Formats: sequence, C-alpha cells, structure tokens
Amino acid sequence: MSKFEVPEVDYTRYSNRQLAAVPLAVLAVALVVLAGWYVMFGTPVSLGTDFTGGTELTVQTDTPRGEIDQAFEAEVLSTQRIRDPTSNNPTYVVTFGSETNGTVLAQQATDNLEPACSNPENCEIVLSRQTVSPAFASGAQNTAILGLVVAFTGMSLLAFGLFRTFVPSVAIVISAFSDIVIPLAVMNLLGIELSLGTVAALLMLVGYSVDSDILLNNHILRRSGGFYESTKRAMDTGVTMTLTSISAMAVMAVTATIFGIDLMASIGVVLVLGLTADLMNTYMLNLSLLRWYKLGEVTPE
Amino acid sequence: MNVRENWRVILLAIMLVSSGVVLFVPGVVGGSGDSGQISNLQYGIQLDGGTRLRAPVVGMTAEDVSFAGQDQGQARQAMADNLSVPTRDVYFQVNRETGVGTVEVFNDSVSETEFATVLNQVGFRTSDDGQFGEGDIRDGVTADTRQQIVDTLDQKLAESGLTAGSARVATTPQGQNYIVVEAPNQGAEELERLVAQRGSVELVARYPGDNGTMQETTLVTREGIDSIGSPEPGDSSPYQVPVVLNQEGAERFTRVLNENEFTTTGAGSTACGGAEKNDRGYCLLTVVDGEVASSHSLAPSFADIIRANEFSDDPRFVMGAQSRGEAETIAVGLRAGSLRAPLDTEGRQVYTLEPALADRFKVNSLITGIIAVLAVSGVVYLRYGEPRVAVPMVLTALAEVVLLLAFVSAVRLPLDLSHIAGLIAVIGTGVDDLIIIADEVMAEGDVNSARVFQSRFRKAFWVIGAAAATTIIAMAPLAVLSLGDLRGFAIVTILGVLIGVLVTRPAYGDILRWLSVEK
Repeated sequence: MSKFEVPEVDYTRYSNRQLAAVPLAVLAVALVVLAGWYVMFGTPVSLGTDFTGGTELTVQTDTPRGEIDQAFEAEVLSTQRIRDPTSNNPTYVVTFGSETNGTVLAQQATDNLEPACSNPENCEIVLSRQTVSPAFASGAQNTAILGLVVAFTGMSLLAFGLFRTFVPSVAIVISAFSDIVIPLAVMNLLGIELSLGTVAALLMLVGYSVDSDILLNNHILRRSGGFYESTKRAMDTGVTMTLTSISAMAVMAVTATIFGIDLMASIGVVLVLGLTADLMNTYMLNLSLLRWYKLGEVTPE
Repeated sequence: MNVRENWRVILLAIMLVSSGVVLFVPGVVGGSGDSGQISNLQYGIQLDGGTRLRAPVVGMTAEDVSFAGQDQGQARQAMADNLSVPTRDVYFQVNRETGVGTVEVFNDSVSETEFATVLNQVGFRTSDDGQFGEGDIRDGVTADTRQQIVDTLDQKLAESGLTAGSARVATTPQGQNYIVVEAPNQGAEELERLVAQRGSVELVARYPGDNGTMQETTLVTREGIDSIGSPEPGDSSPYQVPVVLNQEGAERFTRVLNENEFTTTGAGSTACGGAEKNDRGYCLLTVVDGEVASSHSLAPSFADIIRANEFSDDPRFVMGAQSRGEAETIAVGLRAGSLRAPLDTEGRQVYTLEPALADRFKVNSLITGIIAVLAVSGVVYLRYGEPRVAVPMVLTALAEVVLLLAFVSAVRLPLDLSHIAGLIAVIGTGVDDLIIIADEVMAEGDVNSARVFQSRFRKAFWVIGAAAATTIIAMAPLAVLSLGDLRGFAIVTILGVLIGVLVTRPAYGDILRWLSVEK
C-alpha cells in the first residue's frame, strides 16, 4: 500500500523575505481585486439575495431556458439550471431584483410556465421561493459583518493570550486575515456571491486556519528541538490535517453541485479556496515570521 | 480491561448507546414516533418542506404618556379621528397605579410628527408634564403587542388546520423586532393570506338616521359569540358562517334591532345584498378589517321572532361572505381573535419549499455527507497506511456526529441545511484533532509505557484545546445573534466541538494507547 508522505521542504534555501514575498503578493492581489470590485460595483464582494433583497424561485418546467424570462413581467436577473441526477425534470433557479413581489412572481410562474409532466398534481411548477425584503437584507448584511469582525477579534485576542508574544501572535492573525481575504477575492472572480452559507464558510475558515497556525507555533516555540526539526514535525501533522479537510470539502463541493444543494456547494468551494490559501500562508508567511523571530535574518545557502 | 484507565472509552460507549436509543426508539423523545419515520430526528422547513414568513409589525409607540384626567374611550376616538385612521389602529396601555402608559398607532399613513401633534391636541402630556415632540415617538410597537400578535397567530394557525405551525418574536442585532411564522408542509399562499389580514370581524347594523344620514351601530363582536360553525354555502350570500350568540350578545342584538326599526319598517329591506354599504334601507353588514364582506336584510319571519323577544331562546345567526376563503377568514377571525396590529407586507421575507424538493435535499445531503466521510477516510488511510490508526479515527469522527444528532433530536431542534453544514464542520475539525493526537502519540518512536503515552497525549491536547477555544470564540457571536440560518450552524458547531473535546477525542486517545502500548 502506498503511503503518501508530506514532502519535506528545504527551507534553508530561501531567505525570510523570499518566503514571505509570495503570500504577501497574493494577499496584495486579492486586496486589489476587492478594491477594484468596490470601485466598480460599490461593494467589495458580489452580494447574493440574502444580502441585497430580492426573490429566488426554483421552478420545474418544460419551458426552454431561453423562454423562461418571458413568463415574468419583472426583469429576470439570472436563470441557472440545476442538475439533479435524482430528478428527470428540468429545474431552474430564477433570480429577481429587490423591487419585485414574490407572491406575484410565483403566480406568474404557475400561470405561464409549461408543467414538466402531464399530471400537475405530481409536479408543482414552483418548487421553492425565497423573498427577502431590502430592509431585512441590509440588516443581515450588518449582522454578517458584525459576526465576522467579532469572530476575528475574538480569535486574535485568544491568539495573543495563548502565546503572549507579539511576533508569533501577529503571524497567526495575519495569516488568518489572508485566509479570509483570498477566498473572497477568488469568489468574485468565480462569480460566487456572498450568501449566508458563504459567510458560514468564512467563519469556519477562521477556526480551521488557526488550527494549523497554532500547531506550528506550538511546535516551534514550546517544544525542544531545532527550528527545522520542529517545523518538519508540525508540517507532517498540519499538512495532513489541511489536506484531509481540503479533500472532504472538495468532494462535498462536487457532490453538492451535482445534487443542486447550493448552500453546501458554496461552503465546500469557499473552504477549498481558503484551506489552500491557508497551506501557503501557514508554511510560508507564518513560518518566515517565526523564523525571523527565532533565528533572525537567514542567508540562503 | 482496566475500568479506571479506560473510563473515557466506557463513557463514550454509554453515550453512543443512549444516543442510539434517543435516535431510533420510537416515542422516546416527546413526539409521537409517527408514520414511517426511521429516526426521531425532526426536520426543519429546508429539509421537510413548508413555509416560513418573517415580517415586522406596522406601528409607532409613544412611551411615558401620562393618562391623568383622560377618558380613555373618548381620547382613543379623538386620536383616531384626528389622525383619520380607524379606532382599532390606536391602542392604549396604562399602568393603573402610576397612570402612565404607552400609546401605539398601527398605521403606515401616519408620520411621527403627526402622531406627536395629535397627542398634544388630544391633551396628552409626557410623564414629566411636557409636550410631545417627534423625538418622543419611536418606530415599532410594544413587547405586549408583539406577544398578542404571536398568541393570536398561533391560535389562527391551529384554527385553520395548520396545526404544526407556530409563531414567535425574533430580534435582529440592530434591535428590530419581527414576527416569524412557520408552517411545515404548507404552501406560501395559505400562510400569506392568514397573516395578510388582521381578522377583526364584526356585524354592523346600517340604517337611515336623523336628517337623512346613514347611521351605523355595532351589533355583534367576537365577545358576543358563544360558538362558531364551519363555513357553508349560504342563502342570502354565497357563503356563510353560522354562529350562536351568548346571552349578552343576544340581548344586545335584540335591543339594537328593535330600537332602530329593523324589526318593523326595516324587515326585508330591498336595499341590501352583495358586498357594498347600503345608502338607504336597513341592512346587516359583515365587516372584516373595516371592509364590508357581505350585506343582507333581516328576513320578516326572523324580525317577528326578535320583536317578540324570543331570539334569546335560540340565538342563532349567520355572517355572510362572498367566497369560501373569505368565509374561512371570518370563522378563523372569530375563533382566534384579531391581530392587534397588522404585519408589514413590504418588509417581509418569505421562504417556501415544496415537500418533494425537500425530500430530495434530505436524501442528497445524506449522500453528500457519506461521500465526504469516505473521502476523509481515504486520505487518512493513505497517510498512515495502518488500519489500526485510521479505522478508529474515522469511527471516532462518526461517533461525534451520532452524539450530536442525538443531542439535536433530544432538544427537538428541527434539522436544517445549516445544521448539516455545521455537522460537516465538526467532522472536519474532529478529524484534524484526531490526526494531531495520532501524530503526537506515535512520534519519536514506539510508545512503550503508559506514562510516555500520557505525557505525549497531554501535549497534543494543548493544541486541540487551543484550537477548540478559537472555534468556539469565532462561532459564539453567531450563536447569539439572530442571523437566521447562521445561528443553527454556529450552535451545532460549538456543541460538536465541545462534545469532541470533552468526550470523543480523549476516548480516541485511550483507544490509541490500548492499540499501541500493549503491542
């Protein structure tokens, strides 16, 4: 049976600056993307119905996708096909803006769309409807931001409490920050909107990403043994942890997408992005800061 | 096997067995253990189908109003007239001892300035004897009014057959209150109709008064009714709700009709019919939320009975309606009472899901979960290559899920997609922690004594404890804030981390010790 081993990196070949440069550059690019988004669209990330208000209808219909728009008097923002292997009927998620009336839209769907089977009792056209009013949406937005800020602050304070030294604690905070910012930027580029589900995923990232940082700091600061030896041991465990999580989340993202369970799919994608960023941030950014703290400036061999 | 050394494993085993009982033995958890349910888990709307509606209450409140020297009935009428709103949109609550209370206005057409002005006009003063200004009026209604609405909605849900439905008050972190109504397995239309109307129902007598104007007198309100029948097709209007008046109601009915010539010249008036107010003749109007639902005349034979004062012997009567839906609204309104204030139709949030789609979600998210666990197992096995490390690891992670599900089922928390996301997060951090334990224990060569094992395990636990503390701190604000779906997610994650750190992960340590020390 082939065992996978965590590859050993020869850190002595790189200076602290070289190591830190890559994750910092990626972080900078991510921040530029968010800033650009803010300039172009008024928000740093694209917001979903949960945060902007509007109506989402899940409809099951034989009407071709191109003609679905015509069933509604209101403007359709997007129509997405859901592929669900357990159902043969074509299913779409249709999104409308916030100034629409959900009840009226559901009625129009029932009146104007073609049922997917002959017996209307067996296949309702409107499978689900979610209407969020703008007032609720802006409240949810504030709460989500508040939640993220409080979670992040709590995590930072705890990091300082655990290690009680400035550089290692700051290293944890910076890499956790980067772990959240990088997926946000990639979400923009991939067209994933910020929803309650993705906020949940970002919060999970706070927890997950701190795990491997704490492990690394703990091994290097609180254990006997040389710097590189401790790093090697921390990496053996930490990389395994992160890879396990990545594989679980990647599998979840793929299956949930196939089944059309949006919430789980977006949580999966965001975590895969964030955990991948975490690998880089922990073992390049956090590690270089720790090495600078422990060994001072290192000249590459 | 040494009980003292392995108490954690034994504890885990006991907890798993009780979880099994909680999850699978029918009827253990409060509920009925009904029809074909495999487990005792309760599902929320996202996994079982149904409708959830959240809406703020329409209204404004003036606090600390002094009622000294005011006749409440007259003041209420004066407020309503000056604001040109129906009297039911003005509500007083007074503390009897202090004579200070609140005034609420439930109508969107009134501005805060108008409200303050009219309070001053009617002669109200603040509790420190000042005039009201715009700043004394706040948006929103009192907690008492919200509670009345919730109680009434609960009754309405029960009366209209949506028995599993429920209503409650929720508050956003911004301090806005709203009412949440949930009805499992129901479509949106029925629920929206139920909350769209306040459901105040009265029977009003309308007749020509002095100098040619029409007069109206309330004939029957909910208080005057003893029992309410089911809606049925009617004679004088398309549908009707039969009611039986109580003694007081019947007396009032007789007195008002006799005093106003309904039983003499007004009997069988031809001006009545349809859903309009009559501008001549003598009609009985069924009024729902201020709108006329139907109008009919007093039949001559019925008029004779009332004139002879025999109505009280058999005080039966009908309320008319133009459609079956309207008749049901009347029946439910009479039984459950009316909402003190209306719910905002603009600011509402609706989520509805067909049970068929919900069933698909249920099965598919289960499959997704199982596949994710398989992926984790695969990676763990590839990494360690030793089944005796990897198999207990995966089993321990699954045990966490079982314990968590049992807890969720025991506290009767309806399971939703967000909770499933929380479960996934728990499996993820759980396996992470188990990897830390395994690596730490097996590092630096073989474990040859229990003491070495203990010291290594303790070291591993420092990291795990620290990581768990951060996760709990990160999730804690969400568990408290009312952010809809995220709350359930945070609660499940925190609980899972606690169960993991306190029960399952230490037990895994014991299992690993047993497997490695005694070799």
